[in-house]
Amino acid sequence: MSAKQFFKSTVFKCLTTLLCVLLVCGIFLTVMNSLLSVSAEERFDRAINKIYGKSVQTVSVAVADYNSNATINEAYKVTSDGGNYLVKSTGKGGFEGGTVTCWVVVVVKNGAVNGIQKVTIDSNVGQSYISKVTQSFLNSFANKPAKDTYFYTDDGYLSSGATRSSNAICNAVNGAIDFVNAQLGNVTEDIYADCSYIAQIDTRNSSHEYDKDKGLVVFHVQTATYGNASKFSIDVSVDKDGVIQSFVISKNGSTSGYESSMATGVLDGSVFVGKDITAIVAMFNGSATELPYPPAGLVTGATQSNYLCLNAAAFAAANYKMGLPADEEPDEGENNEEGGNENE
Amino acid sequence: MGTFIAIVLAAVLTNNFITVKTYGVCPFLGVSKKTSSAVGMGIAVTVVMVLATLVTYPIYTYVMVPLGIDFLEIIFFIFIIASLVQMLEKIIQKLSPSLYGAMGIYLPLITTNCAVLGVTELVIGDMSSILGAGATMNIGWAVLYALFAGLGFTLVMIIMSGMREKLNYYKTPKALAGFPTAMVTACFICMAFTVFSYIS
Amino acid sequence: MNKYKKITLDGLLFQNPTFMLVLGTCPTLGLISSAFSSMGMGLTVLVILTLSNMIISALRKVIPNAVRIPCYIVIIATLVTFARMFLDKFVPDLYESLGGFLALIVVNCIILGRAEAFANKNGVLESAVDGIANGLGFTVALTLMGVICEFFGNGSLFGLQIMEFKIGMLATPAGAFLIYGISIAVFVYIMDNFERARRVKANKLARENLLKEAA
Repeated sequence: MSAKQFFKSTVFKCLTTLLCVLLVCGIFLTVMNSLLSVSAEERFDRAINKIYGKSVQTVSVAVADYNSNATINEAYKVTSDGGNYLVKSTGKGGFEGGTVTCWVVVVVKNGAVNGIQKVTIDSNVGQSYISKVTQSFLNSFANKPAKDTYFYTDDGYLSSGATRSSNAICNAVNGAIDFVNAQLGNVTEDIYADCSYIAQIDTRNSSHEYDKDKGLVVFHVQTATYGNASKFSIDVSVDKDGVIQSFVISKNGSTSGYESSMATGVLDGSVFVGKDITAIVAMFNGSATELPYPPAGLVTGATQSNYLCLNAAAFAAANYKMGLPADEEPDEGENNEEGGNENE
Repeated sequence: MGTFIAIVLAAVLTNNFITVKTYGVCPFLGVSKKTSSAVGMGIAVTVVMVLATLVTYPIYTYVMVPLGIDFLEIIFFIFIIASLVQMLEKIIQKLSPSLYGAMGIYLPLITTNCAVLGVTELVIGDMSSILGAGATMNIGWAVLYALFAGLGFTLVMIIMSGMREKLNYYKTPKALAGFPTAMVTACFICMAFTVFSYIS
Repeated sequence: MNKYKKITLDGLLFQNPTFMLVLGTCPTLGLISSAFSSMGMGLTVLVILTLSNMIISALRKVIPNAVRIPCYIVIIATLVTFARMFLDKFVPDLYESLGGFLALIVVNCIILGRAEAFANKNGVLESAVDGIANGLGFTVALTLMGVICEFFGNGSLFGLQIMEFKIGMLATPAGAFLIYGISIAVFVYIMDNFERARRVKANKLARENLLKEAA
């Protein structure tokens, strides 16, 4: 086939048409792409505005954790709307140790946290009942006229049928509040942050005092939740040698109906009374920082509850020196009375 | 291993192309009157899905994205799929006329099957929820996903054709005959597949 | 004028792409759980179909027969890519709710079908009318089913919560199949009766004319 023939053939015509169509389309799209492309910045602003509910300007804030029950993933200060904060926080303590990640809009007024504006669920790990979390539950955070108080499922902040997920959401919101408080400079120092055996202890809600008359350090321990067991409030008294003198459960966090399944020695405290931390650790084969689960000898119908009580006892016994008066333990005592100076 | 199982479960059961994503419904309704044709169509779709992913994924990742022409993905992908189907048809015709007799008639239909374009678009998108934490998309996972998505498609095609073969024995009202009956049947299959959404 | 009326009626009713020809099922089934996204999908297809019909009709004398399908596909893919960019820039809500189905408009049989069956044989104006009629037929059908599915499946309309009562199954693909199947049956039934009534009326007219002539 000569060149002349080729240029006149159908094959050539087909090829040129196809190539022309392709070329024109390609050029058209390239022009359109440069005109219409959405920059990463614009995309980010869109996402933020969607979460926030209206168009705002934000500045990214460096994240840090101030609460052991939540991890802060991202945080933004909303500069165009009174300095509110938008925090992406992952709350622990969900169903079977899972987590729920939420976007929380924290309202700031006069340099202090003044409630929650909006909570939206971003994602979750292993929360099969997350669909039972209702919008009215998420709205209830905004409806509480809170200044700096926290949210707990025990206070009715829960969605029926998804209690564990609700707990994780509450933790996420509380973590966001703590974070914003820290950003605003209103840090409430966690005095037990450096203590041992705090894995199962809600350190921010626990306290201790020194009973002068009896010479005992009384710990009001608030435990965290573990598995199906929710928070326990336990009063533990420790003498100046670190030996537990009394162990009283003031609020039983065991699932309703399971209280009686707890070990009797735990319920009346007889397992712990008369022992110091070395004895407890030796009894349950623990390490210098935590105790193994399940605790040997305390495996009953409510092992998780037993484990929380054991941790409360270990926490009190291990950290009794913090509560002793200054003249007996100068270093530790001083730190404690000033609420702690050391940075976390 | 975890990622492997996650991909297989997602592609075949929890994110089945027909019952959950509703991709490739045209052949699902059109070619499911007989089990033999359903199997032929299913296998043809699976083969094209795997081959298409094998070609489009590297081209997108290693050529189009570095050159900054990823916005042309739809044109490139549909062109690749169309030429692939043409080539496959010619090759099968040459190599095995008997296979061509069984599969050949389904091949031209596949170019406009959204399951094929769907899988090539899916694997270049955000697949993190299926892969699970820690794993990143690569050509191996992409092809594996395409293979099992195709097998999931075939599975539902076979179930559907079995039910429709049985339905042939019954007389249906005129307005319900054909597509409406097929769709109500598909509705039941979808409901049965929702059970798998509890796998996590 | 009669020609355009016929094209319009064919697209909207007698050859409605959704109910009579059952084309473009994938986006239909995937999106009718929400009225907003199904209407958005319908309108997007309407625009793309009209444009592709017009372009293909204008080029029908230029494109050789042997490469017409690849050319159509390239033109349609270009329009879809453009629609994707446009929606991403100006209507991000719709862009998100359409998801993967936006790219899959390329393989929507309605568009290639109309190009093959109508646009490559007719003029630009007729093709435009045909595109609008078919697109409207698709949009109305999708919106109708979207409203039904969203109202009963989610208790809302276009995202606006109306009632607490909901049948969750109708918002899933299973419900989409069910509603689509029932809608086809109802539409076919109505059209059948309509046709029959028209035939009866025509017969009656013919008989009366005959009688008149006889008299």
